Order: sequence, then C-alpha cells, then structure tokens
Amino acid sequence: MTFRIDLSAKFAFVVLLWVCAFTLPWEYQAALCLLVLAGRFAVPSFRPQSERSSAAFSNFLLYSMAVAFFVILLNSILIRGGSTYGTILGFMLHQEGLFFGLKTASRLLLLTYSILVFFISTPLKELIRFLQQKGLSPSFTLILLLTLHFLDHLPARIHQIFLAQQARGAPVDAGIASRSKALLSLLSPLVLSSIVESIDRGTALELRGFLNRPNDANRVAASTAGWNLLTMLLLLISTIILLAAIYRWLLG
Amino acid sequence: MAARIDISALSLRFPESAAPAVDSLTVSIPAGTCVGIVGPTGAGKTTLLHCLSGILRKHHPDIVASGNIRIGTESFAGIPEDILFPRVGLVLQDQFVQISGVRDTVFEEILFTLENMGAAGADSDRRVRSVLQSLGIEHLRDRKPTSLSGGETQRVALATILVAQPEVLLLDEPITALDATAQGRLRSILTGLKGQTTVLLSDSQIDFPLSVCDLILVLDHGRAAAFLAPGELPASGQNFSNVGGLDRWLQLSEDLRELSDKGSRVAARILKGLNLS
Repeated sequence: MTFRIDLSAKFAFVVLLWVCAFTLPWEYQAALCLLVLAGRFAVPSFRPQSERSSAAFSNFLLYSMAVAFFVILLNSILIRGGSTYGTILGFMLHQEGLFFGLKTASRLLLLTYSILVFFISTPLKELIRFLQQKGLSPSFTLILLLTLHFLDHLPARIHQIFLAQQARGAPVDAGIASRSKALLSLLSPLVLSSIVESIDRGTALELRGFLNRPNDANRVAASTAGWNLLTMLLLLISTIILLAAIYRWLLG
Repeated sequence: MAARIDISALSLRFPESAAPAVDSLTVSIPAGTCVGIVGPTGAGKTTLLHCLSGILRKHHPDIVASGNIRIGTESFAGIPEDILFPRVGLVLQDQFVQISGVRDTVFEEILFTLENMGAAGADSDRRVRSVLQSLGIEHLRDRKPTSLSGGETQRVALATILVAQPEVLLLDEPITALDATAQGRLRSILTGLKGQTTVLLSDSQIDFPLSVCDLILVLDHGRAAAFLAPGELPASGQNFSNVGGLDRWLQLSEDLRELSDKGSRVAARILKGLNLS
C-alpha cells in the first residue's frame, strides 16, 4: 500500500518551507531545497501528476538554477567586503557579496521549489475541491482557477501567437535584438487574448452556478478529517521555528 | 418545463455608447418554441441573450435599461439583476470556455453543474446519463473534456447546461465552429427539445435558424426588423428571395442605410419602401 500525503499536509509542508526560507541560515535552506527536489522523485504524493508537468518542472529547474547562479555572481561582484575569491571577466568576487548572494538565491529557490512541487503534484480538480471543502469563497476559488488555467495554457498560447507572428513575417527567429522587438508583438496579443478568455471562462462558470455553490454539509467531515496528525505536526514545527526566530531577534 | 418569454419595450444602452444596443424591443415567445435571433454583427443578439440570462447586469452594472421582461411567472422591471441559472441556461459562443477544466471526464464535467446547484445526489448519475443519451454522446462519457473536437465540445457544453433542466435555453451563435455534420446533429438535438424547453439561438446567418426554428427574430441595430415564422418570411411584403436570402437582405439594408446617411435619395426611398427608414 502506498502512503499518500493529503492536501492539508502538503499545504502545511509548503508553510513550513516558507517559514524556513525566512528564518533559517542559507545552508539549511540549500539543504531543504535538495530535500524538496529529492521528494519530487521519492515521495509519491510529490511526484508530477502528468508528463507535461514533469517537463515543466525540469525546464523550471534549469531556469531557476541559471537565475540563482546570476544572483550569486552579481552579488559577489557588486557587494564588496571581506576577502576576495579571484576574478571573472576582470571582475573581483567578494566574500560578503558571495554569502549575501547564496542567502538570497537559496531563499528564492526554496520558496519557488516548494510552490512548484506542490502545484505539479496536485491535480487542479483536487485542489479546487480541497479549497471548497475548507470553506474558501467561490469567488476566490474562481480567481485561482482562472489563474492556474491561464498558466497551464500559457506555453501553448505563446507557441500559437509565435506561429501567427512568424506567418506575418515577424523576425521571431532572427538575432536577439530582432527577437526582443518581436517580443512586443507577442506580448500584446498574449495579454489581450488571455484577458478575454479569462473573462469568458469566468462567465461560463458563473452561468453554471459556480459562485452560488452551496456548502455541502457532507464535506464537513472530509474537511475536519483533513487536519490529520502529519498536518498538525508540520504546523507545530513551523510555529516553533517562527517563535524561535522571533525570540532570537528580540534578544538581538 | 418550458417558460414563456415576454419582452416589452426593452431598451438597453451601454454608457460608453450613444446608440442603444437594444431599442424598444417587444416580442412574445411562446413556451417550448425555438426562436432564431438573426442579424449582422452589432445588431444586439448577444446583448439580448446575456440580458435574458441575467449575466448582463453583473458584468455591466451601469447599463441603462428600461422596459420589462417576463420569464414564466417572474417579471423583471428593466433587466434581471441576478444570474437566472438554472431556470435560464446560456451556452456561450466559444464552447471551449464552457468546459471548466476541473474535471477529468465528460461525465464528471456534466456532474459538476449539478454539484454547483447542490443537486448532486443519488439521482444525479441518472440525470447525467440521460443527458448524455439524449445528446448522443454516451461514447464520450469517459473522455477528457479538453481533448474533444469542436462538434463534440459543443454537445458537451450543451449537456453541461441541459443537465440543469432549464426552462429557457439560450445559445449564442452555436454553429460558428461547427462543420455540416455537427450542425446536423445540433439541429436534431434542438428539434428534440421543442416543447420541453424554450430555446433562443442567435446567428449572423439565416440558414441554420431557418432550418430548425419556429420563429425568426430579425434584429437590426437593436430593433426588431421582423419577428415571423420561417414560412411567413417571403409573404410578409418583404420578398427576401428577390435579394437572395435574409442574410444578404440584412447586409443590403445595412448598405442602404449607409448610402442614405451619405445623402442618397434613392437609398432613402428604398428604405422607406421596405419600412426600414
């Protein structure tokens, strides 16, 4: 039998990681990043729910590592102080900047990885059902639903608009300067079409009574059952870490 | 059960526009009939359907409305303030947005409507199965709703509304993305609904409404240019066949009005002769 972590516990896990991202030293954050990445492969409840989300995760991983690298590099160059660690392209790398970069990058990665692993491993319908069970207002659920739908279809939409602009002779395949110019012609149809579709999608859901959705009495049991031991434990750890951080800060 | 619709002196104007979107419209639609609303782009077809569904006031709180609407036993001064679902169901022009994306199968997608209504229970499976059967889409029940063709999506979109058993069904340009086969299927579905549900469908072309509707409401600049049974159209004094069909006649009246506005006396005379000036 496979042990599955329910959505309450997954939420609590994200909360814990966010608390850690703002309170713990960067070494711990970096270790937690590796733990989250390992969890994506090892824990069934954190595995991607489809091939598409798996591919999106891999792409995001590459981009985030590139961003983290540049954050560390720029901080090492720009923030001066402490000893130096050599030069890159004639720029000196400074110790203080390096540690600040590591701190910023590890926090950024932990925040994004926790959210990313949560979303790639949680089917939309499960998330919506869970939020409704927890008594979240239908209006908020609708906004979340439309946002997630928009993000989910963003790559396909960009590809479609890219092809349309290419067919019109826009230099989308040329050099970086031409691509940057063409980006503007991609952005406006992307934003406009997304807004129009979001409005229509929201209207369609309203027209199916989504905003008047009643609170189903039989969901109360499921709602309370969601607060299991693991969830409570994770929230307790988060609270302890947070209180310890506040205590340390008060002591100066 | 189907509902009768009485629209009396209905006028709608968006604050940003000087011209009314619907202008002094008065029509009575008997319960259980299928009415085609035709007219060129901007004639007020979609506005009228949105108005009847109750979504118009929610999305345009500042719209200026006058007149009266009666749907079944309920009367509205001006326009309905709230969405009238499930009594009135509206299927939007883009059938793909009708699919919520939060359910994995067509069956669950249709069931989602009943969940929203708080009507999901022991009877809901039977209701969904019944709609699937009546629309001839039982074979799609386990398919992913977002992986269907245009025609299939159209029927699933229709099913998501019909499962609520609305008294009035509004279809905004339902055949825009459908091929001939899918149009034929929709035609037989609408024929099957006659007597059970009052159906209003809009289209910018006349052919499809002529083939399925009991009455045709021609909208022109928000006004009712004609409200007749398809058989009455040529006998009404406006011999549409002379100008090759109502859709082309509508275009002609548009062109005539434009010419008349530019000062053409001949165009003004023709418009007067057609009672359109």
